[in-house]
Amino acid sequence: MTVLTVDGIDCYYGSVKVLENMRFSVKGRDFVGVLGPNGSGKTTLLRSISRTLKPHRGAILLNDVDVYTLKSVEAAKQMAVVPQESATAFNFTALDIVLMGRNPHLSRFQMESQKDIAIARSAMELTNTRHLAERPVNELSGGEKQRVIIARALAQQPKVLLLDEPTVHLDINNQLEIMDLLKELCTKKRLIVLAVFHDFNLAARYCDSAILLNDGKIISVGDLNAVLTSENIRKAFQVDTVVKKHPITNSLYIIPISMPKPSSPRKLSVHLICGAGTGTTLMKILTEEGYNVTAGVLNVLDTDYETAQVLKIPVTSEAPFSPITKETHNANLEMMRKASAVVITAVPFGHANLRNLEAAKETLEKGIPTYVIEEAPFEQRDFTKGKAEKHLTDLKSKGAIIVKNPNELLPLLNISQDKLNVTKEFSTRISGHLKPETNSYEGD
Amino acid sequence: MPRILGSALVGAALSAAGVAYQGIFKNPMADPYVLGVSAGAAVGASLAIVLGIGLTLFGVNTLPILAFAASLATVFTVYNISRVGSRVPVTTLLLSGIAVSIFLSAIVAVLQFIAGKKLQTIVFWLMGSFSDVQWKDVWAVLPLISIGTLIIYFYARDLNILSLGEETAQNLGVDVEKVKKLLLIFGSLVTAAAVSISGLIGFIGLMIPHITRIIIGPDHRILLPTSIIVGASFLVICDAVARVIVSAAELPVGIITALSGGPFLIYLLRKKKESYAM
Repeated sequence: MTVLTVDGIDCYYGSVKVLENMRFSVKGRDFVGVLGPNGSGKTTLLRSISRTLKPHRGAILLNDVDVYTLKSVEAAKQMAVVPQESATAFNFTALDIVLMGRNPHLSRFQMESQKDIAIARSAMELTNTRHLAERPVNELSGGEKQRVIIARALAQQPKVLLLDEPTVHLDINNQLEIMDLLKELCTKKRLIVLAVFHDFNLAARYCDSAILLNDGKIISVGDLNAVLTSENIRKAFQVDTVVKKHPITNSLYIIPISMPKPSSPRKLSVHLICGAGTGTTLMKILTEEGYNVTAGVLNVLDTDYETAQVLKIPVTSEAPFSPITKETHNANLEMMRKASAVVITAVPFGHANLRNLEAAKETLEKGIPTYVIEEAPFEQRDFTKGKAEKHLTDLKSKGAIIVKNPNELLPLLNISQDKLNVTKEFSTRISGHLKPETNSYEGD
Repeated sequence: MPRILGSALVGAALSAAGVAYQGIFKNPMADPYVLGVSAGAAVGASLAIVLGIGLTLFGVNTLPILAFAASLATVFTVYNISRVGSRVPVTTLLLSGIAVSIFLSAIVAVLQFIAGKKLQTIVFWLMGSFSDVQWKDVWAVLPLISIGTLIIYFYARDLNILSLGEETAQNLGVDVEKVKKLLLIFGSLVTAAAVSISGLIGFIGLMIPHITRIIIGPDHRILLPTSIIVGASFLVICDAVARVIVSAAELPVGIITALSGGPFLIYLLRKKKESYAM
């Protein structure tokens, strides 16, 4: 089995160090995604492996042989490269271009044989470009050209395939086709595929392992699930992300979250009693507006809990799917007492989170203003046979302010009008958490 | 007869070198003279004429030898100016070729200035002509040109791949720097040999490869031999026309090549405008 080892290389462009102490090893059937921000050294790494940029220190070993000691022809039999940009000076046909991939297998005085043409054609078959064979390559679209170049690389019959953003010019359909092809080559022909990607989710769906770079150094390398964590991604990109398993593809998917800088910080703090995603939008808006937001009690893994984690909002939390214990309840009360206002979102209430309403009653009695968002009729989200509703009535009688939706709430908290628009589209989502029998909404 | 064979050889040599250089430089403006072969030869020839080194020395015509030597010396200089370690970037090569050529043209101008009565001889040589070609000249350049073009032909497939860019060519198993060096050396050699017997015949090396490429396509394995045949025939015809078109006098053949070839290339470019991409 082929093994490619990058053994502690340093690379320079002139006097600028672009790769530092890079070290990893991949073997046949590995589909490796090279990820990292612009200028992090992804392309340089590929160029160094493909013998274009010789490392100053360290070595690149292909089956224990330093690739820089190989002759060009020998190297080209084992490694093929699909570059980011492919320019052709003359107007060769697509088949001509693919046949050039046979060059390392031909001696100087040899013409391409029927066998070479057959190999080229089957490579074109694989990349779905056979019908383009006689077309001048300069007349092809970006996607077609890219697939022709991949066919050329396959015609080399390499053991290692290096690709620099292979899907960058392609539409979604072509992207998936190419990725499926690469995956297949990887498993069936036991190729090492090392490819630079910008699209995390595409890489996550197909790659087995990944190399995450930043500033010429490896942030993380290894199994994809271990590399693509939101912590690693933050280190490389300075961007916050949510990393989850996709329920359908069972692969990781990554959602970037823009982190707006807080506007003038306010002294006020707001405690949210929420859950099941009903507090997410408020958390974002209030944080952006400079409020100190707290929330609780929330179950770990709840959507609102995860939002709070991303936005770094302090939360009192309870174990997943468990009712609120006395200790947690007290901790929550402690947190609520520091708030200047308490907001109860249109969260469904069951026995598990009923204590949150009791807590609200307690703080309201202590004089902390309480707002109740009645976005959906309360009877539809009361799963406690009226106990919750009784608490609510108590709250109302004690002076809790009822608002129909977050749009009505925000002006009361002095929040500018343009922020309100965000909440409008959001309100429909709440219907998903209502009792099915009384659900009159067309939930999505 | 030596004249016909001489013009065929020169036509073949210039076309072959033109094909090779356009392939290496990936530049449609490249011709066999870009590396200063012509300027070097001009200096050598002008020097020989001005100094009037008997025109023959030990029974050998000194002018072609001096032209040949000076042109190779020029290419050698240009090559070494451009060299960075073991690599020769083509852009630097192209620019230093132009710079050195300009410098040498100034020297030729100085030589013309002090040439006095011999000025006409220099000007005539610079325009290119086959009127003085003899059998011994033909025999002298025949091996150089035939071996040179043959070696260029061996690298025809590499030229195809080089058109994809040097990095890609490297990845496809072409030893780029070695191939480039060989092609530059033999391209310069055949050009210098041709120029030494004919003077500076312009346009052939630039135009014939383009014309042939438009007609038969970019594959150098076909393009190169075809260009050689087309270039040789074209120059033989031009020379014949040069001899007979003006009675009692002979027009420099360079004028004929430019007069007939220019419009023809323009015609082809217009006709195949969409599909021809250099």
